[in-house]
Amino acid sequence: MAARPDDKLNVIGRRQRRIDGFDRVSGRSEFTDDIRLPGMLHGKILRSTQTHARIVRIDTSKAEELPGVKAVVTHKDAPDLMFSEHQPVLAGDVVRYVGEEIAAVAALDLLTAEEALELIEIEYEPLPSATTLRQALREGAPVLHVRSPDNVGPTMEKDWGDPDRGFAESDCVIEDEFRTPMQHNTLAELHVALADFSNPDKLHMYTPTQGAPMYQMELAKGFGLETSQVRVVYRNIGGAFTGRGRPKPHHFVAALLSRKAGKPVKIKATADEEFIMFRASGETVYKFRTGVTSDGVIKALEADITFDAGGHDEWAMILWLPSVYLNWVYQAVGVRYRGRFVFTNTVPKGSHHGGIMGRMSAGWQQHIAHVAQELGMDPADLHLKNAVMPGHESPDGSVFASCGLRDCIKAVVDRSGWKHKYGKLPKYRGIGIGLGAQASGSKAADNDTSAAMVKIAADGVVTLYTGIPDMGQGSHTVMCMIAAEVLGTEPESIRVVQGDSDITPFDWGAFSQRGTFTTGNAVKAACEDARQQLAEIASRELDVAADRLEFGAGRVAVRGNAEQSMSFSEVANKSLHSTEGRFVMGRGFFNSPKPFGALAFSFGAQVAEVEVDPVTGAVTVDKVWAAHDIGRVINRLAVEGQLDGQVFSGMSQVLYEECKVEDGLILNPSRLEYKLPRAYELPEVDYTLVETIDPYGPFGAKEVGEGPIVVSMSAVAAAVQNAVGAMVPEMPMTPWRVLRMLRATADGSTDVGKAWSEGLD
Amino acid sequence: MHLPAHEFVKPRTLAESLDVLRQAGNVKLIAGGTDVTFNMRGRLFQPDVLLSVRGLDELSGVGVDGDGWLRVGAATRLTDIENAPALGDWPMLRKACRSVASRHVRNMATLGGNLCLDTRCWYTNQTAEWRQARGPCLKNGVEACHAIKTSPVCVALNASDIAPALIALDAEILLASADNERRLPLADFYTADGVHHTVRKSDELLVAVRVPPTADATVYIKETARKGNDFSYAVIAGRKTDERVSKLVLGCLSMRPIQLTGVLDVLGSGELTEALIDQAADACRAELGVLTNLYTPAAYKAGLARALVRRALQTLKET
Repeated sequence: MAARPDDKLNVIGRRQRRIDGFDRVSGRSEFTDDIRLPGMLHGKILRSTQTHARIVRIDTSKAEELPGVKAVVTHKDAPDLMFSEHQPVLAGDVVRYVGEEIAAVAALDLLTAEEALELIEIEYEPLPSATTLRQALREGAPVLHVRSPDNVGPTMEKDWGDPDRGFAESDCVIEDEFRTPMQHNTLAELHVALADFSNPDKLHMYTPTQGAPMYQMELAKGFGLETSQVRVVYRNIGGAFTGRGRPKPHHFVAALLSRKAGKPVKIKATADEEFIMFRASGETVYKFRTGVTSDGVIKALEADITFDAGGHDEWAMILWLPSVYLNWVYQAVGVRYRGRFVFTNTVPKGSHHGGIMGRMSAGWQQHIAHVAQELGMDPADLHLKNAVMPGHESPDGSVFASCGLRDCIKAVVDRSGWKHKYGKLPKYRGIGIGLGAQASGSKAADNDTSAAMVKIAADGVVTLYTGIPDMGQGSHTVMCMIAAEVLGTEPESIRVVQGDSDITPFDWGAFSQRGTFTTGNAVKAACEDARQQLAEIASRELDVAADRLEFGAGRVAVRGNAEQSMSFSEVANKSLHSTEGRFVMGRGFFNSPKPFGALAFSFGAQVAEVEVDPVTGAVTVDKVWAAHDIGRVINRLAVEGQLDGQVFSGMSQVLYEECKVEDGLILNPSRLEYKLPRAYELPEVDYTLVETIDPYGPFGAKEVGEGPIVVSMSAVAAAVQNAVGAMVPEMPMTPWRVLRMLRATADGSTDVGKAWSEGLD
Repeated sequence: MHLPAHEFVKPRTLAESLDVLRQAGNVKLIAGGTDVTFNMRGRLFQPDVLLSVRGLDELSGVGVDGDGWLRVGAATRLTDIENAPALGDWPMLRKACRSVASRHVRNMATLGGNLCLDTRCWYTNQTAEWRQARGPCLKNGVEACHAIKTSPVCVALNASDIAPALIALDAEILLASADNERRLPLADFYTADGVHHTVRKSDELLVAVRVPPTADATVYIKETARKGNDFSYAVIAGRKTDERVSKLVLGCLSMRPIQLTGVLDVLGSGELTEALIDQAADACRAELGVLTNLYTPAAYKAGLARALVRRALQTLKET
């Protein structure tokens, strides 16, 4: 049942310290790389040094003879083991990018494994390659896959509502183009997989993950096992940011090596290899088109996006992700979306923190600001006029049961002093506003289930069994707060059992902002079940009707008579250590009643204020005002942490991050040269939490895991746009690009895009 | 990646070290090891002998000689230099040392190591597999350059943040070999060749740096992609002697630190008016030589050099 805003809550809404905080900062937390299994071998992957080549010959004999080497695998060991539909885990006759997996070695130690790799001989017959979107789309370009003679892979074309009518009803149609580069998610914890497949009937996979089921399913399918024959084990996880959603080639390779060697095998990425293993986002070109009436009513929205998929289409989901963003923010008559994948001879792509929406938003919200400018409107007014409202049904059929977007806009406009600043700031200062919406648990298939169990032991200790991983977002703390609220106890007193698919109940995992919403609902239901069991027993023992009992301070008491009460331990003992022999175990689950899509949506608006150094081109983000409707706030401290982190990462992607790619090689595959900002660069963040109470979320909660970064990226980009005086057509907005923009706008250039493309780099 | 196989030698005295340098063939010197071990893991070089001079008495310590010159042993840690009371009279050196990397790195890194830092290039400072994919270059003894296709010399960037400051301070260095010892101005230590980027001979060891006493006003600015713990996009060190700008040295933009003598000529002994500063800043491009797109675009490097010259001159004007 949905909670009402006036519900009396004891735990929910607190500033709760992480339940695992001390372990984390004291180094006591265990991560996958800390795990050492008896007899464990170390694996290394041999990767292609060619952008595009036929493999003529692979000779592994010298590597196999090296003392200490226990297994060498190539395509021949698993010709049918596929990573994606058309892509073997280990390359067969052709390699399509530098870094593609060709062979692997397991040895007694890492040094031997590295040495063995050098002994593997590969003869290539180089093929012509296309390493950029432009090269791949050119007439007569080298073809990567015979099934795609024009190098265009999967596409998506879809209209929602009536975009033609929308454009026809518009007085003004504005178009803009935007580009984003290849970017990389610099996770705190490098990729690592420890596979124990020494018994071919059971594959144990120790690895950081966003959710065990997808790993179980895909590994089971690959190796011809039942899902339950794959056990996924994980410990603490150093970030995921879309990067640990499904197994990657190294998981399959580790399993393959382990099966062949009959020993556990660990493969851990080196810091530079991480740039190949991660599959982050690729070069992307966006064409935006918006139809609007002269008084500022947005009628039609269109985006046409071309993605560099890399050498394989590993993750086609990226295609439709941006389309939802077009549907959820403004009340348009129609939405049109076109997306296409283009194959290039580069590493296959996934996405960066913020999904594809964050990157798109940095261009799209500049585009909307441009629309406002053409109309002579303040962009904040245009946003407010068109923003979705509670009860709105978007063209794609999403219904916003709760929606505080307009309150968010008003809050940031008010708190930032927008009306005194927009158009009135001194030269080289800029202010920008961005909007966003995010689904809280978007269901893509029936198995989008979270289940949870809660056990009350004879000593009264509450143990929660959950399959939701904590990648740093604080999900376990949130689950303990929900459990503590229902059971009338304290979050710190609850123990969490997690991280083993053989033990914990099914949970699809931490994807699509479903943790708090979906798992939270499951945990709440499990605790309500346990509470009911406790109440039944206590009611009998205390000889009072169950509805006259209340829970608090770890006790069950008769309402209004604290003398008459029992501790959890006493209740659990009465049940367990008696002829009844039943222990208190609550079960709960959640699976959205909707067959597809989300039940709840979060919304947000942010204003960013920046300063551009006209001499060096450096951009400083001075302050960000963030207002987010995330439903009921469960853990205020964690919400603020999420906002800080996402403002930081959003700013980082807009201003700093770029994989410099030349001829298919990443020039800066290191934390030194991939210029991620540091804490020094984090601006001050002003938080406003708009707590609409969602009817479907646990205690009315929605999500705060990804919504804010999309908004941060748009606000920072729009602020730079405001400072330099024109839409910045490319990310990241590095000093040299900003200087070029300043020159172009100072020259009074009407076509900044042209001046841009004729620029130097 | 692991370090490639090598023999690690750590003599107790300078004399022993110099003997090893003379006798062994393929030797790499190591002091703090913050750069050497990193590059060795990437197989940028594979020495037979790694000769450690860390902590050698003859190479350690900060003090003022009888003639008033500051003397810093080459193997002195940057943290120890920063903290040395004597540095109060050479504030620019302290600032330059403090600008290097992070506290953790400076607790290991040495002055000699910083002055001798290998030049950097993003076609070279990669893993062996990466370079294999790209192909060899002048750094591997092959007549090819990926940064500037037609370049006959390696154009990798000098990475020392401290060298420009010491050059501006007229520092001299002491080089010793088993049978010789020589002094030379630090300004003459560097060459315009990214492979053999200093004039140090293979049997020589940088023993100490000496800096003459001065009360001149100085300026030191380091520009990076982000605050703290990073290699520079560019650094500038400047100095004013008798109301006249006497030194301007740019670092990290090309193979060696660049003394902007032409800019000084433009400035002459004139008053530092905005017009003259602009004129001087414009003159700096001619002294930069060939610029690369390594790490930042060439045009940005030229613009940044100009901007740093302006900022340095404006600071000197106000001091």
